Amino acid sequence: MPAPSRPSGVGIGWRPEIAGFVAGLPGLRFAEVVAESVHAHGDLPAGLPALLERGVTVVPHGVRLSLGGAEPVEAARLEHFAAVARRLNAPLVSEHIAFVRAGGVEAGHLLPLPRSHEAVDAVVANVKLVQSALDVPLALEPIAAVFDWPDDELDEAAFLTEILDRTGALLLLDVANVYANARNRGTDPLELLDRLPLDRVAYVHVAGGAEHDGIYHDTHTDAVPPPVLELVTALCERHRPPALMLERDGDYPPAAALREELDAIARAAGYPTVT
Amino acid sequence: MQLAATGDTWGIPGPAFLLIYFGAALVIAIAALVHRRILFAGDRAARVDQLGPQQIALLNGGEQLALYAALGGLRAAGAIASAPDKTLCQSGPMPGGVTPLDTAVYNAAGRRIRAREVRDDQWVSAALLQLRDGLEQAGLAVTRAKLRAARLWVLAGLALIALGIARLIDGVQNEKPVGILVVAIVAAIVLTLSLNTRTKIRTRAATKGLSAVRRSHEHLSPRQSPAYATYGAAGAAMGVALFGAASLYTMDPAFAAEAEIQRISAGGSGIGDSGSSSSCGGSSSSCGGGGGGCGGGGGCGG
Repeated sequence: MPAPSRPSGVGIGWRPEIAGFVAGLPGLRFAEVVAESVHAHGDLPAGLPALLERGVTVVPHGVRLSLGGAEPVEAARLEHFAAVARRLNAPLVSEHIAFVRAGGVEAGHLLPLPRSHEAVDAVVANVKLVQSALDVPLALEPIAAVFDWPDDELDEAAFLTEILDRTGALLLLDVANVYANARNRGTDPLELLDRLPLDRVAYVHVAGGAEHDGIYHDTHTDAVPPPVLELVTALCERHRPPALMLERDGDYPPAAALREELDAIARAAGYPTVT
Repeated sequence: MQLAATGDTWGIPGPAFLLIYFGAALVIAIAALVHRRILFAGDRAARVDQLGPQQIALLNGGEQLALYAALGGLRAAGAIASAPDKTLCQSGPMPGGVTPLDTAVYNAAGRRIRAREVRDDQWVSAALLQLRDGLEQAGLAVTRAKLRAARLWVLAGLALIALGIARLIDGVQNEKPVGILVVAIVAAIVLTLSLNTRTKIRTRAATKGLSAVRRSHEHLSPRQSPAYATYGAAGAAMGVALFGAASLYTMDPAFAAEAEIQRISAGGSGIGDSGSSSSCGGSSSSCGGGGGGCGGGGGCGG
């Protein structure tokens, strides 16, 4: 089997709940799957083999490695992550700049790191460890944070740029996170875009959210709001990423609405529709 | 070897009779099997992949499952709801492009019929009959005439049992050993019972086609906790048709409970889901099915 191409165009986060919908997208070239939901050696989730046979690029997206943890990434998790990448013949993989456990306690969520030099060192060490186990490039995704740590030494752009520079990793940019962070902090999302190394973006997450009590939550269970799509257009005007994908994790709407979300992303980015 | 003594029951020695008896049973079993293979072959050219959910359901689990597929489709479309008193009601307009069975069920719901009794409604049972007629003509369902023909072999089995019992009575009166004869009669009874059981109505051609359809609709299996809102009413109905009533519990547990949906599994090939995964679990909310209707069991009004 030839190595699939890097993610391109408009894609979608593959979930078992909507596997039939994803399978019915005629123009789909790329999808992302949660790495922890794929067996390294057993049967692939139903529906994925058909996508791979169609030549759709499937990128494993890790959520449990805890790259931001003070302790090294667990060997078993790392081994599984690398095995899944080989299993899916993936051209690249992605994980979050976050921690999900500390001192043996599982948080169950992706938690933000304090943006300190110490934290950068910890992330860089873990990323290098992961990279050494992988045959393909790793893309790093900053997460949405509804709060900042009081002792942050670096701003978001400096923090990310230093991690990327020191590891050579690619960037998985989540436009909905950029929007959420800027809105909740009262800053300008475009300022952050202007300071990020956009040429390092492997692909982009686009997701919906909702506001509760004055705070915008990146829920992944609501429709993508117009300001996020405007931010997609603004991003593409600066440097169009090779691929963008819809991230939906629940409360799935009727197929027509889901197709419209994909089409809206394609329009905002100037890519051909996949529906 | 002894010649037939005058003492032999009916003038036939025991071993000879048993040989004939077992031989007859074997002949009946083989003949019935061959006859069935011919009767249930169906039309090899018949296509299953172009059937609607209710037809698939009828082939997969009989009339009850066809009815559940209709209920699932109407529920997902928001057309019907259930009430705590186990009756159905209309909760929205009738969707477009529905089948005669959908129409019959929708109208029955308008009369606030109990969900359990929908099948006895005259319009519903007429629609089910019509559904089956179509499948019989397509060579996918075994015709009732053929089912009767297959069942005629039961008569041969009964004759065999009667013969054995007559010999048993005379043998006991003649004070002959009858131990093996009793075993032979039990075997004849088992054979006759097996000739009388036929619950599946699909032909072999349909069985083959069904597993292909099931594979191509794996995304509707309750194990995937399918997003029924995304797949729509047709997807919901197809899920019930292929994977059994467990799909209804995954889709809308409150409705399924109030409608007293029996957890019959589809298929009989063990592929139908056990129903263990039928909760509306955790992070991926797949409940609701996009239908309007009775949150918390209301919805039908007073």
